[in-house]
Amino acid sequence: MRKEKKLLKKETIMQAALELFAINGFHRTTIPDIATKIGMSVGNLYNYFSSKDILAQEIIKYTSEVLGEKIKEVNQLDIGAKEKIHKIVTIYFETAKEQPEMIEYFLRVYLSNREVFADGCEGMVCVSGFITEIMIFFDDGVSKGELRNQDFFSAFGLFMGYLGGMVFLKGEGVLPKDISEYIDDIARNIYYALKV
Amino acid sequence: MKKVRIKELVEKIEGEAELEFDFVDGVIDNVEINFGFYRGIEEILQGRDPMDALVITPRVCGICNHAHLIAAVTAIEDGYKNGGLEFELSNKAKYIREFTLSCELIQNHAKWFYITIIPQLEALLGVASGQNHPLKANYISTTITKALAIFAGQWPHSSYVVPGGVTCDPTYLEVVQADSLIDEVIRFFEQVVVGIDMQTYLGIDTYNQLNTLEGDFGRVLHLLRSSALATLGQSHDRFIVLGESSLAPRGKAVATTVSNVDLRYVAESEQKGSKAKAAHYKGKFYEVGPLSRAMLAKRGLIKSLHKRHKDSIFSRIFARIDEIALLLQRAKQILHLLSLDEPSCVLDMKKKPQNFSGSGAVEAARGSLLHRLVVEDSKIKNYDIITPTQWNLSCNSKEETGIAIKAMQGLKGTDEAKFVFRTFDVCSVCTTQ
Amino acid sequence: MGKKPKIIWLQSITCNANAHSFLNHPNLFSILSHFSLQYHPVLETSYGLKDLSELKVPCDILIIEGAIREEGWKKNDIEVAQMIRHYATRASYIITVGTCATFGGIFKQKDPKKISGFCFDNDKKTFRYDLYKEKLISLPGCPIHPEWLSYLLLMIQSKKKIPLDGMHRPRELYGYTVHNGCTRNEYFEWKVDTPGFGHKEGCLFYEQGCQAPYTHGSCNKILWNDVSSKTRIGTPCFGCTEPNFPKQNFFQTETNMGIPAQMPLGVPKRAYLMLAGVAKSFKIKRFSQTLLEYDE
Repeated sequence: MRKEKKLLKKETIMQAALELFAINGFHRTTIPDIATKIGMSVGNLYNYFSSKDILAQEIIKYTSEVLGEKIKEVNQLDIGAKEKIHKIVTIYFETAKEQPEMIEYFLRVYLSNREVFADGCEGMVCVSGFITEIMIFFDDGVSKGELRNQDFFSAFGLFMGYLGGMVFLKGEGVLPKDISEYIDDIARNIYYALKV
Repeated sequence: MKKVRIKELVEKIEGEAELEFDFVDGVIDNVEINFGFYRGIEEILQGRDPMDALVITPRVCGICNHAHLIAAVTAIEDGYKNGGLEFELSNKAKYIREFTLSCELIQNHAKWFYITIIPQLEALLGVASGQNHPLKANYISTTITKALAIFAGQWPHSSYVVPGGVTCDPTYLEVVQADSLIDEVIRFFEQVVVGIDMQTYLGIDTYNQLNTLEGDFGRVLHLLRSSALATLGQSHDRFIVLGESSLAPRGKAVATTVSNVDLRYVAESEQKGSKAKAAHYKGKFYEVGPLSRAMLAKRGLIKSLHKRHKDSIFSRIFARIDEIALLLQRAKQILHLLSLDEPSCVLDMKKKPQNFSGSGAVEAARGSLLHRLVVEDSKIKNYDIITPTQWNLSCNSKEETGIAIKAMQGLKGTDEAKFVFRTFDVCSVCTTQ
Repeated sequence: MGKKPKIIWLQSITCNANAHSFLNHPNLFSILSHFSLQYHPVLETSYGLKDLSELKVPCDILIIEGAIREEGWKKNDIEVAQMIRHYATRASYIITVGTCATFGGIFKQKDPKKISGFCFDNDKKTFRYDLYKEKLISLPGCPIHPEWLSYLLLMIQSKKKIPLDGMHRPRELYGYTVHNGCTRNEYFEWKVDTPGFGHKEGCLFYEQGCQAPYTHGSCNKILWNDVSSKTRIGTPCFGCTEPNFPKQNFFQTETNMGIPAQMPLGVPKRAYLMLAGVAKSFKIKRFSQTLLEYDE
């Protein structure tokens, strides 16, 4: 019970931090800012996260796991690669719409402030929840003869670079249409690029 | 003229063979050699990646598997070069390959001597010694293959040789261990096989000095000479060596006259009634094996022996055991020359030609072994293996008598003939693949 | 079975490597002293092939080497399959030595519909299985290690119970994977590839085709020729003890978008990838360095 409560509290802190990072940027957001936002004392917040860097790392792990869990559900469905791609694109864009701070954080904080993550979040350590599910998706597609066998990163870059790019454009406010309206075309493009 | 046909089964020759003897007036006039089995290794290789030959071809034979591995890699490397890839093996890789192949030859020769020749000779002459000769074969074989496995990982059926070199990356820990195992085999050779120290043995250069030999080899030579078996088993007196090794240069010899060979003239032909194909050079049969190697190397002692006994079983048996000493000496030398800072393998497996053809010849225990392959779109289109026993044990062609058949002609009994047959170190599985 | 169990070693479609591997047992003759060797393809024995083919040799332990075809493989004018049937019915134990005799192996490839192992055809049971399952022991491997067979023979001779798995393989030999005991394990743990062939350093699982993590066998526990193993000297494991040996492309790891297609035995892919991704993220200096250099 106490453990669950502590976990919920942690999630509240991370959510608040995510929102502040998105509005003010990572460097300009301070621990007191976050504490104030949720009405917690700074001292108490440090009980949960001992530094802003640790908090930043925990957030990336958390978002990666949330996204990973959703893709895992897709991976476990008995459907073809084409449908799976459509569902993964939908998940990604829906998340970008409903929790834009989460995707923004990944693109603007995690990828742009590598020094924050150098110690403790090397390589795939903090994003393995997400990457593992993408790997499972690729592996399954190739072994079933649906996707063309190739180097992991050439496929991964195409998939995630594309989705990340679209969310970036959305964040910049340059997309003329709602991002959901791009799902069908983008899913088809990705499928055609990766299929056998 | 009285004609009789006798069929005999020869077993424990890495499988079996059937010999049908035609006697005319009490002497052997002709023999049909029949190997009944065909296992289709060459067909199994079709459509596979050429590298798979390094795993599949050793499975031709449980006793000379390593020679098949080296022949396969030599053929692939030749093919790579024909396909435009330029590379030069490191000396380290060359030496290690030579070392492990030498170990396999020693293993083979020791087994042949102690498991085949001595027991068969004792039976033929009725002079049982009561000794466990196979135990000696076992000792040499376990010791020498241990030295082999230090570099090759295991014996039988290692696949540690790859295009561009070898997969092992030994330290001096392994080299010292291997060196000590060679010493152990040399000690055995000195104390049990020849009864004198190896350097003295290698210094023998005249026929008469052979009387100084003791040990099992001394005894066998004595038995052969005192029983008049020594001069039996002469064939065409033609020898060929296709592989290049420190033992002998590539070439062919008619008696002692040596000339060059070109691998393109090596061919095989189907034989009636046998699953084995006959191998020949420009249509002619040649003997392969240790005696041929010694003749091509112009080894003084063997030439002096040959002068007396020609290509008889005496020369044939002698050359094979003599080769053990030459190989042991060379093995020591190789370990001394080995320089471990060189690369083990110089090729990157990802950059290889996709279309090529190549051939590789090595000197296996029983003689020259040739692999040829044609690769299209990185798949084996055709693979061809010509084994030593296809040379020595072929049936007659239209033009001439097979090597082993010629060696058996004129003999009076099948036991004698079977003994002569075995002096070629018959390998059934290799002959038919 | 008398005081000294009687052994017949019978060969079918084979290369003889199991026989030769066993001849390399350092204690060969002391082991054989507990048995009566009735027939053997290389060693001198009390009976010859002629006696064997006349089906008159007494037998307690039948050792079968080589793949089997019911028709078209004769010795001394009798089908080898018929000879095997005769002795298999009478023997108390049947040991299939090598992958050919056990699963079909290399020589099955020539005529896959007609050639198989004795009681298994790859991983499927043949019609013979039900006839002989009570006395069947599988000893796959291309070839077998001499110690595997001597273990079995001495266990039989001393009347000990031999624990077997579902394919009748002795668990004490095949309960391990070939990966177990490999000197490159540290590199596997941290997902460090070997830079190519010919290096002491690095793991052969990711590129070079090593099948050791999912191959049943004790090659890295009971060393070959008492000194080494394939993986120790930089050659990938080819999975030669497995029912599906020989596969294709022995020197190349089969991957799906760079992910190994075959997982270590019993390891779920998700679990493997999770750990692999994390392990790979740490660039540990020691594993990127050569173990030692010779300056000459």
